[in-house]
Amino acid sequence: MTDDHDGVPELLAAWALGALPPGGGRAVPTHLAGCETCSAEAVRLRETVRLLDGGDPASAPSGNGATGIDGVLGPALRARPALPRVADHAVPYAAAVAGLGALLRELGGRRSWSTPVVHDWDVRDTVGHLIAADQELARHLGLEVRVPPPRGREATPWEADWETRTADVIAYERTREPSETVAEWAAQSSALLATAEARDPELASRAATLMGTRLPVADHFLTRAFEAWIHADDIGRALGLAVPPPPDGHLRRLVRLAVRVLGAALGPSAPPVLFAVTVGGEDARWVLGSEDDPVRGELAVDAVDFCRLVGGRRAPDEVPRRSTGDEAAVRAVLERAASLAWL
Amino acid sequence: MPVEPTLHKSERAPLDAELHRRLVYGDESALAEAYTAYAGLVRRVAVRVTRSPAAAEDVAQEVFAQLWSRPYAFDASRGSLRTWLSMLAHRRAVDWVRSEARHRKDAAADDSALHAIPDTGPGPDEAVVDRERSLLLHSALAELPQPQREVVHLAYFAGRTYRQAAVELGIPEGTAKTRLRSALRKLAQALSDTADPPDPLWERGA
Repeated sequence: MTDDHDGVPELLAAWALGALPPGGGRAVPTHLAGCETCSAEAVRLRETVRLLDGGDPASAPSGNGATGIDGVLGPALRARPALPRVADHAVPYAAAVAGLGALLRELGGRRSWSTPVVHDWDVRDTVGHLIAADQELARHLGLEVRVPPPRGREATPWEADWETRTADVIAYERTREPSETVAEWAAQSSALLATAEARDPELASRAATLMGTRLPVADHFLTRAFEAWIHADDIGRALGLAVPPPPDGHLRRLVRLAVRVLGAALGPSAPPVLFAVTVGGEDARWVLGSEDDPVRGELAVDAVDFCRLVGGRRAPDEVPRRSTGDEAAVRAVLERAASLAWL
Repeated sequence: MPVEPTLHKSERAPLDAELHRRLVYGDESALAEAYTAYAGLVRRVAVRVTRSPAAAEDVAQEVFAQLWSRPYAFDASRGSLRTWLSMLAHRRAVDWVRSEARHRKDAAADDSALHAIPDTGPGPDEAVVDRERSLLLHSALAELPQPQREVVHLAYFAGRTYRQAAVELGIPEGTAKTRLRSALRKLAQALSDTADPPDPLWERGA
């Protein structure tokens, strides 16, 4: 057809829509004048476009009734509120809560609450687990938390206590509607973000031992952000929705905290390794282990991979890495990071 | 018509993904950026279908509220934010016109004054028929397969040439032309399938 018609049939739709590049339709009018088939097609397509336009062009209203950005942002923010105003240290948690909240809005219909996520948890259980995990900080900050009645002895180690409590919370949440579980998680998160410690860096600098880890309250807020994101990522994978990593500024802070915890776990006499973590195309570097010995190896990983390793979502040999030098020293860092099993 | 730069899919996709990331994590400034870049297009699409600036404003509100409150409804790996917003605005606008038509029909039935269709236009019958056909076409457009719909949206609403549309979608020019042609032929066919249809047309749209 192209041979007979100078390629005009292929151009007619673009021509009718006014979507030809400048000078791209020179062949069209000449050809139409002499070709009945193409001319009929042209008329038909032009009429289709005229009707798409709404018929009479003179009656087309101009688009300028615009109320501007406020008219649009107002209703948007009523549908999903802006982040609460908190101090810098709590912003990553506020953002992670907003991110998980947005993800949970996609549940329902073909995306079921009973979709298996991790361990033997489905989506609702995973949110239940977060309620239990956030309760530690909530209770420390003096919020009233609904703690299921204790089942164990007193003076159990915190791990056992924690296992029992998370199991109790999940069991309780299984008796309720998923929407109630989400509402409870959201209410507790908002309450955490409304505490004086979320707004006042001074107050948040005081240390507290939660889940066996002694850190400033500000860092416990970061840990909450980390956990909310990692579980959102779990849920997203289960549902087939790609959860983006937290904004680079937040990711950097999560990485710094994780590296500090990792450094402490490795101790001051481990073979020193130069450790680099890439966030947004830039490397942050630390020397882990002994400060007195020369560096034995170098290890570089991406921030998201590192967080997944520390969060127990990747095994040491699954993490893409660049490394040189003493392989055993490098391995030791990866193994130790995985053993933190932070969540 | 404000024309944003034509970027290749490989340049556009990371920008869309970054904006999406900020929307997911509740960064209001990302919504403001999306508004600045695409509100013109969204209103243009909506006003073309609804013929009503007030309705177009409602559509724009809905579209941006959806982008903000349901960020996961947009998947940057499946298409650009521009075409996604354009297609969402179009669907909402078609819904608006259909529900208007239903109301009007109900009102007309109540009055048993079937021909007293209020319209802002000059109002000869021909104009009314054109409006009905226009809705038919826009309903058909909303049902096109996404690859065809995307090219039509870029060429027709966003004022792109087929070459620019091909660049933005990361497809060969020939493919863009073919998709435009298939799409427009289907629309023309939808029109001739219902040559004289004023009444059943509304039912179909409902």
